Amino acid sequence: MAVRIRNNVQVFGDGPVTMVFAHGFGCDQTMWRYLAPRFQDRYQTVLFDLVGSGRSDLSAYDYGKYGSLHGYATDVLEIVDEVTSTPVIYVGHSVSAMIGMLAALEAPGKFAANVMVGPSPSFINDGDYVGGFSRTDIDGLLETLESNYLGWSSTMAPAIMGAPDQPELSDELTNSFCRTNPDIAKHFARVTFLADHRAELTRVTTPTLILQSNEDLLAPLVVGEYMHRKIPQSVLSIVENVGHCPHLSAPSASIDATEAFLQGLAL
Amino acid sequence: MGVPNRDLPPVADAYDLAACGLMTTLGNGTVVRVNATFCQWVGYEPSELVELRRLQDFLTIGGKVFQQTHWAPLLQLQRSVAEVKLDVKRRDETLIPMLINASRRVYRDEIFDDFSFVVVKDRHAYERELLLARKNAELALEAKRDAQQALLLADRRKDEFLATLAHELRNPLGPMRMVLDLLQLKEFSDPQVGWSHDVLNRQLGHLSHLVDDLLEVSRINEGKIELRKTRVELATLMRTAVETSQTIVNAASHELTVEYPSTPVFLNADPTRLSQIFSNLLINAAKYTPRGGTLRFTGKQDQGDAIISVQDSGIGISRDDLPKLFQTFSQLVEGKELSQGGLGIGLSLVRTLVGLHGGTVTARSAGVGLGSEFTVRLPVLIDSGSAARSESIPPAAKGKPRRVLVVDDNDDAAASLAMLLEMEGHATQVGESGVRAMQLLGEFNPDTVILDIGLPGMNGYDVARNIRKMQSKEKLLLIALTGWGQEQDKNEARLAGFDFHFTKPLDVQRLLRALNGGESAAHL
Repeated sequence: MAVRIRNNVQVFGDGPVTMVFAHGFGCDQTMWRYLAPRFQDRYQTVLFDLVGSGRSDLSAYDYGKYGSLHGYATDVLEIVDEVTSTPVIYVGHSVSAMIGMLAALEAPGKFAANVMVGPSPSFINDGDYVGGFSRTDIDGLLETLESNYLGWSSTMAPAIMGAPDQPELSDELTNSFCRTNPDIAKHFARVTFLADHRAELTRVTTPTLILQSNEDLLAPLVVGEYMHRKIPQSVLSIVENVGHCPHLSAPSASIDATEAFLQGLAL
Repeated sequence: MGVPNRDLPPVADAYDLAACGLMTTLGNGTVVRVNATFCQWVGYEPSELVELRRLQDFLTIGGKVFQQTHWAPLLQLQRSVAEVKLDVKRRDETLIPMLINASRRVYRDEIFDDFSFVVVKDRHAYERELLLARKNAELALEAKRDAQQALLLADRRKDEFLATLAHELRNPLGPMRMVLDLLQLKEFSDPQVGWSHDVLNRQLGHLSHLVDDLLEVSRINEGKIELRKTRVELATLMRTAVETSQTIVNAASHELTVEYPSTPVFLNADPTRLSQIFSNLLINAAKYTPRGGTLRFTGKQDQGDAIISVQDSGIGISRDDLPKLFQTFSQLVEGKELSQGGLGIGLSLVRTLVGLHGGTVTARSAGVGLGSEFTVRLPVLIDSGSAARSESIPPAAKGKPRRVLVVDDNDDAAASLAMLLEMEGHATQVGESGVRAMQLLGEFNPDTVILDIGLPGMNGYDVARNIRKMQSKEKLLLIALTGWGQEQDKNEARLAGFDFHFTKPLDVQRLLRALNGGESAAHL
């Protein structure tokens, strides 16, 4: 129960197999709004917020534990244990794709498949490896975050608001789901954008789908191709989409690719 | 929408020359319409932007990532974004801070995003100031934490120093006390010598008391205090306290009335500490009362509590001073003259020790010059079933003479102890080191070895272990004598092979009983 509160775990749907959806850096589980409901008539679907994001228990944010992605991977394993005893289909966006990979490396038996949406094992260019960013770029990002969280920190009022004329938006949405404690956001950004898990890719044994936008600043095509080469037996599926969130801006194509991959695994 | 017959500039101008930058893009960011204001700010012609550039082209890398991770999802799910502040890149690569709002709408099945841009240089500068102020505040906080850490460290060093000081001060007191006790047994024909002995006796008692208090305070500070609670009778403790403070009370010609409880009151307490509490209160009363005063020391039971009070006709305490009374190192100004110095730790010690016994101590005074009363309340031990159990310790009976080797690097301590033992009929030999002790083992052939632990080179534990290894010395009585009385010290003594462990200052009667076989080894 403690895990459910800590990570604001939400369980929907019904089915013999459980799908766990993990959001990326920036927002929260709301990001799965167009994707997750499409699976809940066949699977038990589980949404959660990373500690420090959304409606997770901010007091559980331990700067030591979450100083590396392994801290989040530990949480993922606890969430999986909390919701099911059979291997799960894990769907992770961006940094959470890597978190899922680390969790599966630690406990391969708990994972039947890993769907990675816009993943990157390392954002920073390094010799022949093209991650897309320099260290200076990442510092610039941290600064941008700092100036945009300034208003949010003291009032905790949503600085980025919903549009009242959109009837499909619930109250929950008008509370900004991208709002976070600025110190945590900055720390999480640092951990996310400085992480380097290239070395672990070749050790992956979980069947993996790399779902890649054809144009994505954070995860350029070359990164997707690199991961596809390194992760044994992985499937690379490229979705026609500009941006880092194909599950939001190209949900149908993302669903199709995911379903095809799961069918191939008879899941 | 204007007033019908007023001649207004064209609406197109209002768009193009608006006081903010306006732009419309497709869902992927491609610019499809942009106003002159924005173009002028960034240094492009509209024709260079429309259908050719994307909004993200004007953002820094940080801004682009932010757009991907925050802004795009919000626009997608909420259809609008407000108050995002980003740097916008001009043609010459310089940056202008802008505040951006956006809203999304679908027009003939195509997604369009409308943006407005406002230059916020002043706000940006102001925010920089705020961030800087915050950073400075964090630095100041850190500096404060460091300073607190340093203070704590300094405080700990002071405590360590006090502990060492108390230990070192107590070492010379042992032999002095022993020699004075020996002199007590002699007859002096010269009355001046007799008087001198009494002065030394009193002053040494006073000094020992101060050092004991100091030692106790440092034990409390280091969290090393251990109460040895046993079942004790209140009247016995009161008697001991009276004995301890008698010389000081008499010296000031006070009249002390003692009222013991009418029926025996039993406490579960550390007898040494409780006597210390009561004698501290008595000595305080004696000190802060002008010569020839009256003191009253009473003990009684009030339901579940034992109530011990010390009343005096002394200088009293002002209302303002009452709350400060029990703080460490505090002494009232009015009392300075009468107290002849003192450390200002007596009452703080009393409060701590009483607290450790689950009791309370309070002070009362009608005011300056009107005397004071200190009251200690302690929980009474309810079980009094074994009231018949003997509390008094039998005096040491003379046993068979022993051959005692006394080993201590403090010559005076060793010699005075040896002298005392000889007066009791034992044969003694003195050694100043572990090596010398091992030598004397063969030469003197003792049946008892009293070992100081803190010996130079080979310490007392080493000597004991070596002795226990020698087959012929298995029956030898080994007694440790040390300034350290913690449970772990006793354990170590036991492991090294000691039969007894005595803490300085030495309780001579107990030592004598140990030599005569009348003290059980349970004291180890």
